[in-house]
Amino acid sequence: MRNGFLFFIGLFCAAALSWAGVVLWPHLQMGSLVPYVDETEGKAYPLRLSGIAAQGQMVYDDLGCAACHTQQVRRPGFGSDKERGWGDRQTVARDYIYETHVQLGDSRLGPDLANVGGRKTPYDAEDLYKLLYAGSGAMPAYKFLFEQRSIADRQPSDYALALRGNLAPAPGTEVVPTMRARALVTYLLSLNHTFEYPEARPVEPTAENEGEAK
Amino acid sequence: MSAMTSASTEVSEIDSSARGPISLLLAFALVWLVVSGALALLHFAQTLNPAFLADCAWLTYGRLRGLQETAFVYGWAGNAGVAIAVWLLGRLGGAALRSLNWLTVGALFWNLGVLLGLIGIARGDGSSTPFLRVPEYVQLLLLVAYAAMAIPGILAWTGRGRAQTFAAQWYAVAALFLFPWFFAAAQIVLVHFPVRGVVQAIGAVWYAQSLWNLWLASLALAAAYYLVPKLTGRVLPGYDFAAYGFWTLILVGGWIGGRHLVGGPVPAWVATIGIVSCQVLVFHYLIVAINLRGAFTGRGSTALSLVAYGVTAYLLGGLVDAVVSLRAIAVTTQFTWVTQAQTALALYGAFSLIAFGVIYFLVPRIANQPWPSAPLVRAHYAAALLGTGGLVLGLAVAGVIQGRGLLEAGLSFADIAARTRPWILVAAAGQAVLLAGNLVFLFHFARLLVKKPAVTAAELLRQPPTMEASVS
Amino acid sequence: MSDQNDPRLEQPGASDETLLSAHEHQLAPKGDDGGHYRMLPLALLFIFSGLIFYGATYLHHYSGHFHADVFNETASPAGATAAAPKIDPIVLGKRSYEQVCATCHQATGLGVEGVYPPLAASEWVTGSTDRVIRIVVHGLKGPITVEGKQYGAAAMPAFGKVPGGGYNWNEDRIAAVLSYIRQAWGNTASAITPEQVAAILQQEGPRKEWTEPELLKIP
Repeated sequence: MRNGFLFFIGLFCAAALSWAGVVLWPHLQMGSLVPYVDETEGKAYPLRLSGIAAQGQMVYDDLGCAACHTQQVRRPGFGSDKERGWGDRQTVARDYIYETHVQLGDSRLGPDLANVGGRKTPYDAEDLYKLLYAGSGAMPAYKFLFEQRSIADRQPSDYALALRGNLAPAPGTEVVPTMRARALVTYLLSLNHTFEYPEARPVEPTAENEGEAK
Repeated sequence: MSAMTSASTEVSEIDSSARGPISLLLAFALVWLVVSGALALLHFAQTLNPAFLADCAWLTYGRLRGLQETAFVYGWAGNAGVAIAVWLLGRLGGAALRSLNWLTVGALFWNLGVLLGLIGIARGDGSSTPFLRVPEYVQLLLLVAYAAMAIPGILAWTGRGRAQTFAAQWYAVAALFLFPWFFAAAQIVLVHFPVRGVVQAIGAVWYAQSLWNLWLASLALAAAYYLVPKLTGRVLPGYDFAAYGFWTLILVGGWIGGRHLVGGPVPAWVATIGIVSCQVLVFHYLIVAINLRGAFTGRGSTALSLVAYGVTAYLLGGLVDAVVSLRAIAVTTQFTWVTQAQTALALYGAFSLIAFGVIYFLVPRIANQPWPSAPLVRAHYAAALLGTGGLVLGLAVAGVIQGRGLLEAGLSFADIAARTRPWILVAAAGQAVLLAGNLVFLFHFARLLVKKPAVTAAELLRQPPTMEASVS
Repeated sequence: MSDQNDPRLEQPGASDETLLSAHEHQLAPKGDDGGHYRMLPLALLFIFSGLIFYGATYLHHYSGHFHADVFNETASPAGATAAAPKIDPIVLGKRSYEQVCATCHQATGLGVEGVYPPLAASEWVTGSTDRVIRIVVHGLKGPITVEGKQYGAAAMPAFGKVPGGGYNWNEDRIAAVLSYIRQAWGNTASAITPEQVAAILQQEGPRKEWTEPELLKIP
């Protein structure tokens, strides 16, 4: 390696090649994916996030929810994602085309959230607020997303949480989710990747592909 | 005659001229190392008890993870890596480093950037992209500051004394030169002109992988390729093949990120190409193992021993990657602590241990005085090995338990957390030991800087022997 | 302090100068080494070829032909790009009926006396396929007698793809809704295929709503 110039060119080309192959190529393949128009329903999937849900995604991002929660369902038979009720089909690229900041996540200390708005036993907003306010055994409470305020000289808020037992706020006060909490919960409830895209269908096992997939 | 002696004595002008900037970088590096260790410990405390500090919006679980990772990678590894690479290139270039002011100014702005980045993440301005969590407003500052820091290193390479080059120089130059490119490319596709949908996730794994293979691993290998022959006094075995190992890493290193997306919403080929590249990279690990096997014939040298453990961690990490990337295994280990164990093995095992080794070697030379205390070196050495071992082992076992638990659809997350708890405790203990060791290291370094040496290193260092070209 | 293993000061094993020159020498072209093969290059070449061969085979098997729509590495693109799976026509028909038709004909299929004719047990629904398809595709205007009772206060809009209004449903959906009403509420008539609907559309082209006398001329 006597020729310094060639050395730099080589380094640069090697890095550029991996960039082209790993980033540019998928971008060319999937960068212009269009929604799937379902004629029988007369709708185009995926649905766009509402404005407040898009704000909620930013809250999800900056709080670092992805440290414990993924938003990707693996196909039935690959892991227990389906058995855990996270989704009947695997998530595909088209599910994410409207997300400004995709949150696939890389760690599952908590459940997958790709379909949290479309579960068979659905959560409603109240459940999610309570979970965020009180936490659970494995999840911290996010009390700073709520405001405890007096109702002595104002109307009680429509959003006030119905808390009982030892969580109940002091008499004369109420616990109200902040704008951030409401955006976050709206976002979570909008997560629903249940539409059956043609590319998301499970592959029928054939003689050729029956062998153990490595 | 005087020129001859100055070239062949162990401490020369090259070292003394670099004393200021390199010490500055190392001081920053060690402070960030301790900060990141403390944050990592808080993160473990939250893992074990989710209610811990939960009311503090600045330290949510997700943000703490980003904080400790950023402090480690950009704070400790960035500073230490650049210091090592620039010093190496100066020594191997055979001339005093030029334009060192760029290094100093760059280092000040780089560390300002890291500090602002950490505050930004804590405030909620950051993002969840692994290894690129710093807020947008800091990224450009980091990029420019890094380019300034790299200048003396690149100048030492282009102005080197001899035409032929050595493997340590390749890795050091590659790391210094390549980081700004992929850092900038990642910023463009993820932040400034974000690509659509899952291509973002692909870009993120590409960046994280390049950051490790083309930057941190290259920096560590540069140090190891220099230190092993330097300390053993023997020519690297199979050195003819070092270039193949180097180019395999540079060419293939950026491709293997896709393996993290197995089963995810990306086309199957993205993951498959990552897995295949991971297998092909075994060739690189094989050559590194052949070249650096001299590290394991240490003669009780602490620095060499640290490098030997670091190289072991590097090789082990590569083989584990190749195995764990296979889909049949990834289905269990994906999304678990195993991934974190692999990161810890790479960052704490390979990078940090090698960096510790080379720092013990280089500081007495630039400061022209030996380390003040042998027991402190031994204490840090023991803590680094014990802590890294505990951390990686704890995370790995916890990850396997977690992965198996996730496969049992009926098992709740609270149950899985209960099953992994003992091993998370082991990992947390490892992290605590590491933190204690690194505090000792920081204290020791500070003492060396302020202490007036009783005797200079130049007087104590023997005349370096001549290395004989081996007959293969 | 002169101890070789003093961790405070690592003694060098070689000078930088000779370290560089010794390794340079290693790379220099060797002279004739007496016809001896060196094992290492051969072994490395062998391992490298093996890795490349293994990698290429693996890539060939599990790359999904590098197709953007293949998410399962064992699938082939042909399967993934085929048309969307057909939904059960009865499910689709029921959904469409409940969304639109039930407004007038009611979810029970019994209609509203004197205004909207019933579909359950209606001879128009279970009878001639040619007539019932035409009604749904083009609509119906004017009075009509069902099971001896007169209806006729409201007109039925066109559901097919005809210019100038209507629901513009495709053949699949019309066939599904027809099959549904012919088999729901105790009706036991045959299902209707999209091809039958397409044939009627082709035959009649765009036209106005039908009337009862016009329909009675059709077998």
